[in-house]
Amino acid sequence: MASAAKRLEAVSGTAAPQIAFESVTLQLGGKTIIENLSLGVRAGEFLCIVGASGCGKTTALRLAAGLYQPTSGKVNFDSQPMREPRREIAIVFQDYGKALLPWRTAAGNVSLALEAGGMPSAERPARIEELLRTVGLPGHAGKYPSEMSGGMQQRLQIARCLAQEPKTLLMDEPFGALDAMTRQGLQDEVLSLVAASGATVIFVTHDLDEAIYLGDRVIGLLPHPGRIGIELAVNLPRPRDQLSTREHPEFLRLRRQLFDFIKATEQ
Amino acid sequence: MNRAVILWRVASFAVAACFIALWQLIANLKLVSPVFLPGPDRAWAALVRGFSSGDLWSKLAGTLEHMAYGWLAASIAGIAIGAIIGSSRTMRTYVAPSLEFLRPLPVSAIIPVAIAMLGLTQAMALFVISFGAIWPIMLATIHGFAAVEPRLYEVARSLQMSRLAVIFKIALPSASPDILAGMRLSLTVALILSVVCEILAGLDGLGHWVLLSARAFRSADLFAGVILLGVTGYVTSVAMSLAENKLLAWQAAQR
Ligand SMILES: Nc1ncnc2c1ncn2[C@@H]1O[C@H](COP(=O)(O)OP(=O)(O)OP(=O)(O)O)[C@@H](O)[C@H]1O
Ligand SMILES: [Mg+2]
Repeated sequence: MASAAKRLEAVSGTAAPQIAFESVTLQLGGKTIIENLSLGVRAGEFLCIVGASGCGKTTALRLAAGLYQPTSGKVNFDSQPMREPRREIAIVFQDYGKALLPWRTAAGNVSLALEAGGMPSAERPARIEELLRTVGLPGHAGKYPSEMSGGMQQRLQIARCLAQEPKTLLMDEPFGALDAMTRQGLQDEVLSLVAASGATVIFVTHDLDEAIYLGDRVIGLLPHPGRIGIELAVNLPRPRDQLSTREHPEFLRLRRQLFDFIKATEQ
Repeated sequence: MNRAVILWRVASFAVAACFIALWQLIANLKLVSPVFLPGPDRAWAALVRGFSSGDLWSKLAGTLEHMAYGWLAASIAGIAIGAIIGSSRTMRTYVAPSLEFLRPLPVSAIIPVAIAMLGLTQAMALFVISFGAIWPIMLATIHGFAAVEPRLYEVARSLQMSRLAVIFKIALPSASPDILAGMRLSLTVALILSVVCEILAGLDGLGHWVLLSARAFRSADLFAGVILLGVTGYVTSVAMSLAENKLLAWQAAQR
């Protein structure tokens, strides 16, 4: 209930932003990748970022993670400047195969985050089991990542991120490499996980439908250099449903608007 | 164990048995003078005699000791130095060329230097053995550390892991297949150099035993020593492979 109230507060916009980009410009190798980006993400908000390939989505996410420092401007987290990555901000990488430790079992991979958080070893097994159950991997604790399917590996990465007990979850095309069925299942799981934890989410995707289906707000980036081109509030009822939400007139209207925007940027 | 594996085992034993039979035949027919070539029967008898008198035990222990200390010293130093060089790009670019210069240098070339500095001592043997055995381990470690998936370092950063935790939980396990392969190569190098040092410095060990037997024309004893060296090399490398399989079980899952 508490998280639902928090979400309502977040969406209605009374809280100060948890993550704030203030006129952020980033240059890499002499090239301006992101220019003058200002953006506030409220606590508990689900923000989706879309845009053509190479427009700077991943770069924006890495700035939010503290993996890059802006060339000018500021990225704040809870009103404090972000100097380096922190445990409260978890990242789900698209290439789950590279982000997991192949020499650790599923349990060991989740344990990595608990160890980093300083949890005593006696308490870890119970927590690991709980997390693996949460992401739908009960009974797979002893498997190595290489023995799991792509969908299972991505669930495992999500479990490790949840083990960080993040205030913010950053997801970079997390389901991009998965088939449609697995993808829809994971979309719903992420929504319910996020609803349960009250975490803030920034979700990067290529898939416009996915962005509208998941988000409270969708931002479309323009390329060269990356900046905000469109911002849409998604006023669709929650919990969302794969069938009825996608048939909702508002969904279709937003989808149309977003498609037109992307088409225009591609010309 | 399946059928094919058993068949292969049987076949390899048969081949070994044929070799021994052939050796016995050559010895019996005296194709080579018995002064130089004892038959397997005499070599075996010498082996049994050496062990029951306890002489061979102490020689074997001496060689194993030289080999183990040298190899362990090389492993610790090789992994530590390799980790330092391998985990920094600048170190790699500056240090790698000098390593490429030093690496092909035959170890035999530094033996006179070691003897001049340390004398005919255990310390000299330890230095020479570990100097020779360090290269495969150090180069493998450098390579293993350089090849760690960068994404994993980002995971470590976002988990705010300490430097030490990153080395022990990410870099070392990731490089472990390379490191263990290097350690296996070094095992052979360490055995060879143990024997060389024992021969040169007269240190207690199988090398010394072999040398004395040859000088006294006790060919059966000489062969007993050589056989024991072969067995030592074989057993240590099998033990190393077993340890590798156990430590790298996760790789078997990957294939
Ligand atoms: N380290 C870097 N150095 C120089 N240029 C970079 C670097 N990283 C990214 N870029 C450039 O910045 C631009 C944006 O890259 P980014 O990866 O953020 O795009 P993206 O929107 O995530 O693309 P995609 O949808 O293909 O993942 C690209 O043109 C890319 O070539
Ligand atoms: Mg990207």
